[in-house]
Amino acid sequence: MRHYPADYPIIQVRNLRKLFPVRGGRKLHAIDGVDFDLQPGKTLALVGESGSGKSTVARCITRLVEPTSGDIIVHGSSILELTALEMSRTYRLVQMVFQDPNASLNPRMTVRGILEEPLKLHLNLTRAERDERLRELIEIIGLTVAHLDRYPNELSGGQRQRIGIARAVAISPEVVLLDEPTASLDVSVRGQILELLKRLQQEFNLAYLFISHDLQVVKHMSDEVAVMYLGKIVERGPTEEVFSHPKHPYTRALMSAAPVARWGGRRERTKLAGEIGTPIDPRPACRLVGRCPIERPECGESPMPLRDIGGGHQVACPFHQSIQQ
Amino acid sequence: MEMLERRRFGLARFRTLSPAGPGADPQQRAEENPGRMLSRPEAAPKPRRKRRFSRLTLSGKVGATLLAFYVGVTILSFFWTPYDPTMPGAGMPYEAPSLAFPLGTDRLGTDILSMLMMGTRYDLGICLAAVFIAFSIGTILGTIAGYFGGTVDTVIMRLIEIVQAFPGLLFAMLIVQAAGPGVVNVIAVLSFVGMPDYLRLARAEIRSRREWQFAEAARLVGNLWFGVAFKHLLPNSMGPLLAFTSLNAAFSVLIIGSLGFLGLGLSPDSPEWGNMIARGQDGVMTGQWWVSLFPGIAVLGMTAAFYMLGDAIADITDPRRRR
Amino acid sequence: MSDVILEIEGYSGAFRGRESGEMEPVLFDVSYRLKPKAITAVVGETGSGKSLMALSVLGLQPPTFRRTAGSIRFKGEEILGLDDRALRRIRGRRISMVFQDARAALNPVFTVGDQLADTDRLHSGRSRHAAMAKAIEALRRVQIPEPERRARQYPHEYSGGMAQRAMIAMAALICEPELLIMDEPTTGLDVTTQAEIMELIVDLAKSRGLTVCLITHDLGVVAETCDEVIVMNKGRVVETGATEQIFTAPAHAYTRRLLAASQLGEEGA
Repeated sequence: MRHYPADYPIIQVRNLRKLFPVRGGRKLHAIDGVDFDLQPGKTLALVGESGSGKSTVARCITRLVEPTSGDIIVHGSSILELTALEMSRTYRLVQMVFQDPNASLNPRMTVRGILEEPLKLHLNLTRAERDERLRELIEIIGLTVAHLDRYPNELSGGQRQRIGIARAVAISPEVVLLDEPTASLDVSVRGQILELLKRLQQEFNLAYLFISHDLQVVKHMSDEVAVMYLGKIVERGPTEEVFSHPKHPYTRALMSAAPVARWGGRRERTKLAGEIGTPIDPRPACRLVGRCPIERPECGESPMPLRDIGGGHQVACPFHQSIQQ
Repeated sequence: MEMLERRRFGLARFRTLSPAGPGADPQQRAEENPGRMLSRPEAAPKPRRKRRFSRLTLSGKVGATLLAFYVGVTILSFFWTPYDPTMPGAGMPYEAPSLAFPLGTDRLGTDILSMLMMGTRYDLGICLAAVFIAFSIGTILGTIAGYFGGTVDTVIMRLIEIVQAFPGLLFAMLIVQAAGPGVVNVIAVLSFVGMPDYLRLARAEIRSRREWQFAEAARLVGNLWFGVAFKHLLPNSMGPLLAFTSLNAAFSVLIIGSLGFLGLGLSPDSPEWGNMIARGQDGVMTGQWWVSLFPGIAVLGMTAAFYMLGDAIADITDPRRRR
Repeated sequence: MSDVILEIEGYSGAFRGRESGEMEPVLFDVSYRLKPKAITAVVGETGSGKSLMALSVLGLQPPTFRRTAGSIRFKGEEILGLDDRALRRIRGRRISMVFQDARAALNPVFTVGDQLADTDRLHSGRSRHAAMAKAIEALRRVQIPEPERRARQYPHEYSGGMAQRAMIAMAALICEPELLIMDEPTTGLDVTTQAEIMELIVDLAKSRGLTVCLITHDLGVVAETCDEVIVMNKGRVVETGATEQIFTAPAHAYTRRLLAASQLGEEGA
């Protein structure tokens, strides 16, 4: 495990944009100018609903989808110009855990085969060393050696996700991108998986990018949170701060809408009018125009950048104070 | 619905279901909320490399047994035949089936049974060789086309469409006329004619699985394109391809027979069944029915066997049938 | 008993295994009651049998499922084993259902307006014109903007949330049932959309005196909208009670575990 100076960014995402061409020569702005850093031992959460672009961010970082513009910098050098071979070497450092454990494991491979593959492709280990590593991995994730010879369809959802996590950490990466890792799991299994992820992070000083729509899970897991809407980050800051003092109207709407499994009657909701705007050829203005409870004419004139409001907290809305607490 | 599915040579029944993609929005597809059943490979039980005999339907078992019989005869023909099939005059010309000559003799007195046995080497052998080659090349090209899409895909598809523009038998005839007789030529032509279907099937299957999460995971694990395509995507797509080989074989047998009948493809003396049917044509009118009939039955039997087996395999590998 | 609208008693059932032909029991002596005009949640994880039970009420259970015991009474009348005609009189008219994936539940080749209007004519015999007017009104009532235009659209042109509203319009407004069963109606929807849909459901239920049976795995939704809770685990009913009681004083160990897991050990939102 390498040690880095405090705040050293293993991955820097700068002004990332991803546009998909759509019929009629128009462009779908999936990601529209996103910046962040990923640091060892810390978790940054990307929160948003469908259409926010959060999943696409992870795919851009790994170049499973090619960014349209902007830069992805790993250990100081850009990875956008790397060849396929060089890229596959980058995957030694940056790995991903997928959302659906049923779909992300090859149904025709045994667990052993699935876990061995990264070892074989990246490391030069002898057969004995590989077996040793497999044993380590299977223990770390809380399964037994007997599971190695099973097929994914013989395992439960929680177990499959553990395999997905083991596969990601098999070659000791430094950064793990987690794309809704507990979304497909039952609530009772969710806690265990999150505990496993936390443990792994502590043990190996991993940098996590935690992508989720589930605010409760995000609050539990992350150090810093960035809220995305229609391809832009509208608010970001330390988790504690953003959750207790959400400023952006969208963040407030999101947090007040998330149901809490606690008896306490209904709460006041910040409501957004209408439906989510279109990501296709959006106007260069605040994305919440047409839905915002505190909208003003200026909002439709120019895009809203993120502004610092102290303590590492940034909001892309200059009028946030006008919402009643 | 059943009728539609059993269209002869139709590829329709071999396609697996593609995952239902809600909305054409690429962003939406990537962002689809959890809880939805998006893009999941059909829950496959343990992969069976060998198709278990007992899982076939009755007709499948009949087909498989029949084929085994033919294969057995082929092997046997290398070691023993009742008489020498290349030697005319083993018996009297146009001898009716009897104990000495169970299937009779032809115009030159050659034993028909022996000729049939030797003929399996051609009909079955050429067929299997052609199927194997068509399967291999078609699948590989189809996988490449399906995986890469874009220009590579377009180029391959246009070429294939040119090949497919010609009706199979006609094309085979043309090529064989031009290139001359010979076993190798026939195999080559048949492979060529049979390849496009495999290509299309493979391409479609690979394309539908390309975006699935386990394919993404395969890339992240460190595989380059051929690893993802051939090690991960293709093995999961084999069902329809394997099912099709049997039907492709049936079709090939008929083409071989037809070529033989027309006197194309192989040397005129070879004991290929189609050839034998042609040579026995005169006999049909004058009462020597056995000369054409038995090779005809041989062709029929083999074709039927392949069809039955193919149908059964398609049923087994059909993901719509919950296993 | 006039204070119970649906009563399930001792319902047990099993699946017939496809290969083996053996019965694999999945529901064990399930009993619960739905209070009229209340919103009752049936909660459980995957495999708890909550959806299966609800489908069985309307006779929509999968063909491989066999009931082995029990009865289901709707307003005092046994509805198990009713013939098709009798079932049809109940389905839609007195008991209605909303499914999880609205876009999949709606017929893709007909416009939404046509589907609503057709269902209305089936139940009420109104003229085509009047039925379409009613359909548009229903779409408006579930807060679909520009209902006249939307009625002419096809399900795939609707967003997930909108399609779910259309389904609710169909099941609750066009059908005018006494009991509405909803199977995970908001799973797969965005959180903000989910909140709006739940508000809509509560509003409709209260204003029309509907009894709602909400099947879900999301305890947050239950805490905020439901009056009564029935907890199921692995085919059995584990605990029932008023929402407040279940959340503040859960009696069964499984309920406690479920609550703990849902809260992720947090104090306060």
